[in-house]
Amino acid sequence: MDLTICVPRGALFDESLEALKAAGLPIDPLLNLGRKLIVKCPDGPTYITTRPTDVPVYVESGAADLGIVGRDVLLERQPDVYELLDLGFGACRMVWATMAGDDPAPAAIDRFGVVRVASKYVNVAEAWFESTGRKAEIVKVNGSVELAPLVGLADGIVDLVATGKTLRENGLVEREQIFDSSARLIANRVSHKLEAAAVDDLVRRFAEHAR
Amino acid sequence: MSELTSAFALSVLGSSALMTDFMGDQVPLPDGVRDVLPVEAAELSALETSLMGVFSSFGYREVRTPLIEFSDVVDRGQDQGIGRAYRMFDDQGRVLVLRPDLTIPIARLIATRMADEPGPVRVSYAARAVRPPSAGTGQGAERRQVGIELAGAGGAEDDAEVIAALAAALQAAGLEQPQVAIGSVALVDAVLDAVDADQDARDALWGALQGRSMVAWANETRRVRRARGRLGALLAQLPNLRGGGELLTRIAKIAPAAAAECARLLHTLDLVAAYGAPAPMIDLGVVRDWNYYSGVVIEAYAPGASAPVAVGGRYDALGARFGRPRPAVGVAVTLDLLHHAVGVPEGHEPRGVLVVGGSDTRVTAAAMLRATGIPVVGVLAAYAGPEEFARTQGLRYVARPMKSGWKVVDVTDGVATRIASLEEGPWI
Repeated sequence: MDLTICVPRGALFDESLEALKAAGLPIDPLLNLGRKLIVKCPDGPTYITTRPTDVPVYVESGAADLGIVGRDVLLERQPDVYELLDLGFGACRMVWATMAGDDPAPAAIDRFGVVRVASKYVNVAEAWFESTGRKAEIVKVNGSVELAPLVGLADGIVDLVATGKTLRENGLVEREQIFDSSARLIANRVSHKLEAAAVDDLVRRFAEHAR
Repeated sequence: MSELTSAFALSVLGSSALMTDFMGDQVPLPDGVRDVLPVEAAELSALETSLMGVFSSFGYREVRTPLIEFSDVVDRGQDQGIGRAYRMFDDQGRVLVLRPDLTIPIARLIATRMADEPGPVRVSYAARAVRPPSAGTGQGAERRQVGIELAGAGGAEDDAEVIAALAAALQAAGLEQPQVAIGSVALVDAVLDAVDADQDARDALWGALQGRSMVAWANETRRVRRARGRLGALLAQLPNLRGGGELLTRIAKIAPAAAAECARLLHTLDLVAAYGAPAPMIDLGVVRDWNYYSGVVIEAYAPGASAPVAVGGRYDALGARFGRPRPAVGVAVTLDLLHHAVGVPEGHEPRGVLVVGGSDTRVTAAAMLRATGIPVVGVLAAYAGPEEFARTQGLRYVARPMKSGWKVVDVTDGVATRIASLEEGPWI
């Protein structure tokens, strides 16, 4: 098999490995990666590992044929790729959260005409507030989003939540649920056709074990 | 709050000062566009020439449409208008659009200027469409496209001709095994008829297809109540289905409402085979972003290109929107993607001659070489490093006049030869 598969480092990494293993792919080289970013399995695929948000970039450009990525990243980046399968793991939800107690958002809209939102997901946040008829000012932050409302940088945050523990610990409350997310198998538009047999076979094997 | 605001202002000022520090004086271009320099321009022209040559051999005659059109005219091409495009006003306040697509203007041209031609009408074009780039997609604003449109009787014969011409053109351009996939908007619609899908379900399902999400498609099909048993399984799997003729036979058995479309695609496959073209793959997940397509949809792929090198399909209802209904089918090659997929086009290895001491002193000899199509460039005798200059100009030889005859150096391998006159050099 000559396929190149892009695997996200971070939260989805371990379960991605389980899914790959369940689909009958060799994963040994991925177990002791160290600092290596790319490994080729003899008689198996080539794996590349990247930050989760970069997976669609590698797949869309054709640098990887297939990739595993959260739906949150797909909705944020809107890559032109095939979304082949819901792999079922990595379940979490995109939410709008503000400080516990009185929700500051309605007051902000009433008094200033705009609600200030901190998020890593700029496009998702913008689309959500636009679709619900509210004007939002999005502040892009790259990590520890929960901090923003605590120090007055924003009225609330749009972020991915799995258990809600981090929100609670920082005194934030989930106000609106935007969408559910889980890990997806994606394919490059050209690889999906030129490697049709190999891709279809792999999708079948993943589907048998998903969920 | 005010502290935050002033800190923000400071950081913006600071960063812009930083930017100018390392970016220097800029001469920027708008997002998504770029210049094409000689090497690339020569290769793109070579590709364009081979594609157009094949299209011409199938009887397609070149037409050109204006760069700008009235916005409301082009908007007729799409149900909800054409969406994102560069628009501007003319001197009377009318809204103009830079053509974001080439099929709509060609359909307009065929429906208006060529309305009286009994047809079939075969036209080709090599032109650029312009669309505002979407941030982060790497997709440029300008798309160089070479394509054909066939407005004819509307049969499978026309579909097959366009597919065969496309395959031949791609092969001529240097793509050894072009992989063509065809889907069908009409077939998908027929299956949706078979399960009696309502308008909401159709919109959601078409949205899923256009978003290339098999996951969203599968989720939406669960809401179609009539889809049970084998028909339900067919619907759920529809965009994942691909293969050859046997796939169509199977679909026709499960969904008799789609039998006519299956038979038509089967016939198309037979006709394409008769042209001697590689067999297209049937792939029902292939759809187009533009919703004017009504029948077969076509994509071609090449290793090394990140997106399909050619796209197209049948758009029977488009002509009527410009006043002259006539079924039509067409396809366009995206030149930049094809360029990534093929090597250096043949006939474009360097072969010109740099004449030291000026070709002006050897006007006759230079003119003779030029007449045979060999580029000749003169450079002053005092020019330092003519070999390097020849290399940067894409010239292969440097010729120096000697007491008698010429010394010629091939800059690709450094081999020197002596010749009596320019007419007998190694470039002949």
